[in-house]
Amino acid sequence: MSSLNVVAATPLLITAGTATVAMTVGLLPGRMTRRHGPALIGIAGIVAAIVMSAVLWGGRQEAFGGGLRADRFSLLLNILFLSAALVTILLAWREPAAVDRRGEYVTLILVSTAGMMLVAGAGDLITIFLGIEILSVSLYVLCALEVWREKSLESGLKYLIAGAVGASFLLYGLALLYGATGTTSLSAIGEQLEGTSFTGEPLVVAAMALIAGGLAFKASAAPFHMWTPDVYEGAPTTVTAFMSTAVKAAAFAAFLRLFSGVMPDLQPDWSVAIAVLAVASIVIGNVAALVQSNMKRLLAYSSIAQAGYLLIGVAAGSIDGAEAVLYYLLAYGAMTLAAFAVVIIREREVEDGDDISALAGYGRARPVVGAVMTVAMLSLAGFPPLSGFIGKFLLFGSAVEADLTWLAVVGAVGSMVSLGYYLRVIAVTWSEGPDGGPRKVLAIPGPVGLATVTAGVSVIALSLLASPVLEACRGAAEALLAA
Amino acid sequence: MSIIVLLPLLGALSLLAVPAGPGGVVQARIHAILAAGGTLVLVAILVGLFDRDRGDLQYVDHQSWVAQAGLSWDVGVDGISLWLIVLTAVIFAIAIGAACARLPERPRGYLAMLLLAETGLLGLFAAGHLVLFYVFWEAMLIPFYFLIAMWGGEGRRRATHLFVIYTMVGSLLMLVSILATAFVARDITGQFTFTIRDLEGVTFTDTQSTWLFLGFALAFAIKLPLWPFHAWLPVAYRAAPILVTGLLAAVMSKAGVYGFLRIGVPVFPEGADRLAVPIGALAVIGIAYGSLLAWRAPTMRMLVAYSSLAHLGFIVLGIIALDVQASQGAVLQMVNHGVVVAAAFAIVAVINRAAPDDRIDGIGGLAAGAPRLTGIFLIVTMASLAIPGSNSFAGEFLILTGVFRQHVWLAVLACLGIAYAAVYMLRLYQSTMNGPVRGGRGADAELRARDLAVILPLVAVMLVIALWPRGIVDATTPSVERALAPAQIAADRPEDQIRFQPPANPPADALPLPGDETPDAAAEATP
Repeated sequence: MSSLNVVAATPLLITAGTATVAMTVGLLPGRMTRRHGPALIGIAGIVAAIVMSAVLWGGRQEAFGGGLRADRFSLLLNILFLSAALVTILLAWREPAAVDRRGEYVTLILVSTAGMMLVAGAGDLITIFLGIEILSVSLYVLCALEVWREKSLESGLKYLIAGAVGASFLLYGLALLYGATGTTSLSAIGEQLEGTSFTGEPLVVAAMALIAGGLAFKASAAPFHMWTPDVYEGAPTTVTAFMSTAVKAAAFAAFLRLFSGVMPDLQPDWSVAIAVLAVASIVIGNVAALVQSNMKRLLAYSSIAQAGYLLIGVAAGSIDGAEAVLYYLLAYGAMTLAAFAVVIIREREVEDGDDISALAGYGRARPVVGAVMTVAMLSLAGFPPLSGFIGKFLLFGSAVEADLTWLAVVGAVGSMVSLGYYLRVIAVTWSEGPDGGPRKVLAIPGPVGLATVTAGVSVIALSLLASPVLEACRGAAEALLAA
Repeated sequence: MSIIVLLPLLGALSLLAVPAGPGGVVQARIHAILAAGGTLVLVAILVGLFDRDRGDLQYVDHQSWVAQAGLSWDVGVDGISLWLIVLTAVIFAIAIGAACARLPERPRGYLAMLLLAETGLLGLFAAGHLVLFYVFWEAMLIPFYFLIAMWGGEGRRRATHLFVIYTMVGSLLMLVSILATAFVARDITGQFTFTIRDLEGVTFTDTQSTWLFLGFALAFAIKLPLWPFHAWLPVAYRAAPILVTGLLAAVMSKAGVYGFLRIGVPVFPEGADRLAVPIGALAVIGIAYGSLLAWRAPTMRMLVAYSSLAHLGFIVLGIIALDVQASQGAVLQMVNHGVVVAAAFAIVAVINRAAPDDRIDGIGGLAAGAPRLTGIFLIVTMASLAIPGSNSFAGEFLILTGVFRQHVWLAVLACLGIAYAAVYMLRLYQSTMNGPVRGGRGADAELRARDLAVILPLVAVMLVIALWPRGIVDATTPSVERALAPAQIAADRPEDQIRFQPPANPPADALPLPGDETPDAAAEATP
């Protein structure tokens, strides 16, 4: 195997290259070029990277001496990250933070995406850490991009501090894992740990605990979730949408790579710890979301709870579990982006547009947007037959199969509680607005409308086309465990 | 079968395309009536084509959905579900007709929600697949949630919260039980399936069967609702628009009972047998409790709501007796109760017109000004009391005979329910129709053509069933026998108690044909 296999890294290279070009274009003279050039180039680059990922599908290659893998697992996640980035750029078409700094905005989103792709394709501990850092650093800046807004700056700072703590947990854990095994290559670590158990391996135990903690920060799983509501609320909403979908997916990619991929034999030991994280996230996320009146905070707590459901699949530690996590990540990405898209549209129209009450009467004024919000909320709540239901069904199923029925019960009860707040949003959306109608309504920019409807339709499409999508997820899960 | 299930859904979707405004209201009416009426016609055709001698599912439609997870679209109809589908189609056609006659605010949404609820119920009764059953079980919740939350009266917030939280707790436990059932069955047979017919053939251990049955039973008990899981009922019934309350009592409450008969008993016969007495005891308590609350209920609407708690207790008892005759009675009684309670709520709605504050002690002497109402109310009261000759009589009689055979004491206690019913129904009838005139003029409560259009079809169905209950009972026999057979083997009952048999001594001239094996011969053959 050649040590530098560039073909395997093409999606990553295209993304990183596009980021550079977009930044340069953003500096060119000419207002129109500066405004639309970077976004158009970004979109073209993303489409090219998605196409390349699809072209590489099926094969299994390694690049950079095994540091980066292009297997079905990483390619599927690449497509997810890139799609989220694409929708984010479209949603930010008129976003104040993005319009004047389009070059920076598109570049940072793309760099962050490249970081995620590194995490998903990591074949080495160093790559994982590099990826996590690359994706985080860009996001610290993105959070604080609305420099004229104090909350945005505060959000960037909070994320930076929380992220730094998380990163140090992770780095410490990775270092201990290296100490225990003497190698940074994931496949070599996997071989070393084959047939062992945690008993008698204190270093591995400590490493796993620290790694789980560090990744839980990124996935905003309880009890490492404290930063989430504040950062989500303060960051520009398009960035929040990107963070809550793509970053979470990247964190779960790392979870799956490190736990299911590298140490499947130790599953009985680590699955308990992951299950505890899952329970804490489900309980804290759902209970706290019940009392939120701000849509972004509500979605932040909902994302904590959703991280809990995803952890159920990780805890199962099986191919079925990994398949369920991947499918749910796709579904979760679509439904969360759809929900955020509606918030973004509303935010432009009224000052307190991220408040739930701002949606009152919105369903009647804008039936399509109202329908997108309804579909997103019902799917997040796990209502059949939407994709959120199929995802939860598979996650709970994998838990039952792994003899973790109690965990499935906790997840099921958590979903029940979540109905309390998801249904409230729908009820407000379709209720009569103040004075019989919603307040101010503006025309929706084409790209934003397109992204919103696409996200809404994807929620339904992922359910109707669940069979082929799951086939792809299955392939990805098998690639992960075969590593 | 799929067309029947999906036609109301199509109607609901087509309502979205109707423009808002006065012109749209007329269109919305046409769309809703076409969808509900079309469904009713198709169901009538289904009844005509249904093969009454078969116990298995007919008109099956099977489409794979998510093959990897074993999910598929699997609908069909057997003798048990047939009558519930008929009940749903009839009651919804009447309800949507009534809703079109007197539209509330936001009529498009209202009619769309009613049609969605109809699809949910039809799908539930037709589902031959556990997950599909769950999908419709949940799908039904959304329209009812919005019907109560957006068109309900005072206290609707609390009502919707209680309604959703209660029913969701049960149904999510059911979801986990569904998964557990499939995995446990896979470990036993090596085949991963959610199809109910396949799972009926799996032999679970007693412990597995008991736990899985319990998971399902909780969901069914909450939806019913069975005492003590009924806390959501009074609040929801009070806050919902009266039409929706009628639908909740007439049709949705049957979903839980149907679950016992479709899934609980046939798939987990051992569990059903083990838990029969505790659940039967809850049903009996429910009968007494519902009756007492009905007796003390301040308003007519609550009285009817509580009385249905008692009637549902009877139906559950009929199923849990694991006796063919009692179960036949239960199926018949499900239809009876649906029709009677819908008629009762229609009458309550009419009386409300004369006396908006529907406190029982505030209304009286309506008979003088409203003779038509009085006459029909009497018929409904008699049916609710299950006096001989009424449609409910045959159902309750079959249930009680069956329960007597299996659990004498439960039957004795349940019989008291009939006495209770006499107390509260006669109290209602006497105080509202007879006696001195109080609150509102009787003439306001007299049935008008529009009211008759709602109530007369229901009364007609009641009369038809009263005269010819066999029409329903016979068609259910093969399906009920099939559903109960494993449970009766589990309960180790002697063969002569299992089958609802023809006379033991056939007439002398009826010679057996060669190769003809009588049930008696089969009984002798088994050690």
